[in-house]
Amino acid sequence: MSRPMVAIALAALLGAAGQAQAAAKPKPATTPAAATTKAKPASAPALSQANYPIERYTLDNGLTVLLHEDHTVPVVCFWQWYKVGSRNERQGITGLSHFFEHMMFNGSKNVPPKEYDKRLESRGAYSNAFTTRDMTAYYEEGGKESLETMLQLDSDRMRELSLLPDMLKSEIEVVREERRFRTDNSVPGLLDEALYSTAFEASPYHWPVVGWMKDLERITRDEMVAYFRTYYAPNNCILVLVGDFDPKDAKAKIAQYFASIPKQTPPAPPVNSEPEQNGERTASVRYPSETVSIDVGYKAPSVASDDIWTLDVLSNILSGGESSRLHQALVYDQQIALSASASFRAGLEPGLFEFYVEMKPGHTAEEAQKALYAEIQRLVTDGPTERELQKARNQAESGFISALKTNNGAGQALAYFEHVHGDYKKFFTAIDKYRAVTAADCRRVAQQVFDPTKRTAAVLVPLEVGKEAQP
Amino acid sequence: MSRRVSNGRFERSLMVALCAAAVLAAAPAGAAPAAPTRTQLANGLNVIVVPTSRLPLVDFRLVSRAGSVNDPAGKEGLASLTADLLTQGAGKRSAKQIADDIEFVGGSLNAFPGTEQMVVTCEVLKKDLALGLELFRDCVVSPTFSADDFNRKKEEALGQIASNKSEPSVIADNAMARWFWADNPLGHPPIGWEGSVKSLTRDDVVKFHHGYLTPERSVLVIVGDVDAAALVASLKTAFAAWKPAGPAPTTDPYGPAAALHGRTLRVINKPEATQTQIRMMCPSVPRNHPDWFAMEVANTICGAGFTSRLVNSIRVEQGLTYSIGSAFQQRRAAGAFRISTFTRNDQLRKCVDATLAEVKKLVDEGPTDAELDKAKNYLKGQYPLGLQAPDDLAGEIANVEFFNLPQDFIATYPAKIDQVTMVDVKRVLKTYFCTEDLKILVVTNGEMAKKALDGLGALEMKEIE
Repeated sequence: MSRPMVAIALAALLGAAGQAQAAAKPKPATTPAAATTKAKPASAPALSQANYPIERYTLDNGLTVLLHEDHTVPVVCFWQWYKVGSRNERQGITGLSHFFEHMMFNGSKNVPPKEYDKRLESRGAYSNAFTTRDMTAYYEEGGKESLETMLQLDSDRMRELSLLPDMLKSEIEVVREERRFRTDNSVPGLLDEALYSTAFEASPYHWPVVGWMKDLERITRDEMVAYFRTYYAPNNCILVLVGDFDPKDAKAKIAQYFASIPKQTPPAPPVNSEPEQNGERTASVRYPSETVSIDVGYKAPSVASDDIWTLDVLSNILSGGESSRLHQALVYDQQIALSASASFRAGLEPGLFEFYVEMKPGHTAEEAQKALYAEIQRLVTDGPTERELQKARNQAESGFISALKTNNGAGQALAYFEHVHGDYKKFFTAIDKYRAVTAADCRRVAQQVFDPTKRTAAVLVPLEVGKEAQP
Repeated sequence: MSRRVSNGRFERSLMVALCAAAVLAAAPAGAAPAAPTRTQLANGLNVIVVPTSRLPLVDFRLVSRAGSVNDPAGKEGLASLTADLLTQGAGKRSAKQIADDIEFVGGSLNAFPGTEQMVVTCEVLKKDLALGLELFRDCVVSPTFSADDFNRKKEEALGQIASNKSEPSVIADNAMARWFWADNPLGHPPIGWEGSVKSLTRDDVVKFHHGYLTPERSVLVIVGDVDAAALVASLKTAFAAWKPAGPAPTTDPYGPAAALHGRTLRVINKPEATQTQIRMMCPSVPRNHPDWFAMEVANTICGAGFTSRLVNSIRVEQGLTYSIGSAFQQRRAAGAFRISTFTRNDQLRKCVDATLAEVKKLVDEGPTDAELDKAKNYLKGQYPLGLQAPDDLAGEIANVEFFNLPQDFIATYPAKIDQVTMVDVKRVLKTYFCTEDLKILVVTNGEMAKKALDGLGALEMKEIE
């Protein structure tokens, strides 16, 4: 069932208008929502500067800083969020952003290789990072007394990363292993790569985040150095500090460590020449398996569109828990699938609204597509019922706020809004956007996005397990 | 059930679990949580309530000695199927009604099958406490087990068993457990085998539920924004009809693994694999053992965390893998030490040799003082991060009960870590960290692996089961 959702809880705690959702009287599930249904306006915004204070400022070198104090526990989480991801790459250097993420832990001017983690762990702190199509994000988490160590380590690697040839040589092998693990020997990984490279032809979302294996064999140190200068400049980064700190002291220390790092010419935006898709596409992937899976994507708008909030709600209607439409139809009623899910995450470029279905043994990809498309079409035609719309809005709101349970999650959300939405203040209006989604919005956006001519399906063609080698 | 990878997200490491639970705390780092209320209901159920008022949330967690170790021979998968069915119709609600009611209020309700535990959890807002308690109680005490739901979930289990055959890491884990534990009930995966699951009947599930998911075999932990006295009163009413099946069990249905003498190897043939999954394992001690803290520290130095010996040597220095780790699998009545990694096929032998050499060096020479301090600080720094969410705290409290650990385990954790000495660490390294007497299993192209592993020990080849 759904993951724990503390969301409404925190909204209520913050004195927000959670009651409009949570206490809504259930309507019979069979009543279609009237097209004119308006979401109830909330009496107060769920999140605001008043109940969730955030301070934002910019250093002279262009470095953006966001601070949110929470003194509940004597710990801090510190994010460095670089506005670069695989969309900033090009053919020939795909995977460079992600490789870079690994290299950021492998030595900088005053921090020799291996020292980064040693200094953190010996103070009880922990660090990790991730790369997506749009961003490369790093964080450390530990007791509040470890903050200065974090600032020291992270400013040093922003100022001058070593990119030592020996470290490049061994770390690229780690990355290739990661690719073999997550993509080449994984059904979902193979399908994801096939889906994006087929759905997008001239968008920077065409290539995989981890990069093509052959590009991972040819990326040079010179390309890495040029990339560092351009994209790891302070003016291309957002720092977020969440937790138990003294703001005056934290600001002084951030200035002390980061203010003297020189700004660079802002990078040119990536080129996106993606033409309009005019017809359904299919990619097939052969791999040994006793079950068939499909990964389906419909062209969906970027974060610039106001329809993204409705798409989140649609995703909950289709696959938010066992009571959702896809689980009920494919897993419960027809009993043809092991799992069926929908997902959408708004990005900087137009992206995909995705569906992933794994069938039971003996059921085919054709059956999967037929059943999936029938459910999507039913939603396009009839729209949601009042109760499922309310449930989906509650879930969207829950999911949003539950991410704020942790310092880590709160920092990630703030950086995401500042970077992808272009303004952290949109963080405060997100819940109101979900609350405002109507049944009419759902039908309109579903009709527009779930257009079969803008659909791509990546389909597993199963080979016999343990018998045939992959071609 | 979905194995979907997160959309286009590549992380530095697989070890994110360490920090994923780092949420706002109910208790300051290292401090004991609010005083728990302990009660035993008339039916023998032990209840622990921990009030926390920071979030208007309530988390339930029932842990029962009803795991796959309790599966009768030939009925492997029974505990797991029983757990799967708890939320699929109970009391007056159908499966769909249960899901719809809990999801409408943004809550969660889950039943998890495990090796020696069945765990049922529920999280709701304080205002939905009555609904949460009703759903939770119904699923535990009066699941319907309708014939249709039974057949549906049984088919799903069979489908999942088939699906697992395309997942190299799951193939490796299951094959190693089966080989290592042999006829021990720890040797089968909770989900069972294709043949045993096919033989399961609805009657088996009903009997398992009556015999094992019982109050005397269970502990119920509730953490959240509650009034302890009022809650205990409603629990007494809610669980009044739940009857014990007998006295609380005093023994476990399994014992330790047989001691190993020398190295043996097994290759699971997956001809198309471009990457080899590697597992190494030897017997160890149960969870409630006086050496536990020293073993935690030693294992942190050996193979947990980015600066551990194995990660440093195999990943950072040699670039042989993306992920390597060592861990103790510790149960109530048995334990094992295990190393897991993967590498590209042409580096298989090098990876195995380097891993064994690294452990041997640590065992022979011991860690440095700096390494010992670092590991202790790291464990003390990370432990409170994993106790801050109410559901995580409930989990740790339930563990303390389940493994009969001292009642002050959580509060004294940092002090106990501090007390571990270099002498302790060197001793446990020599006692529990094996390099000679162990089993090594790989999942990969069989012909390639046979050549690569030649000379390491007696080797046999098997197909995927």
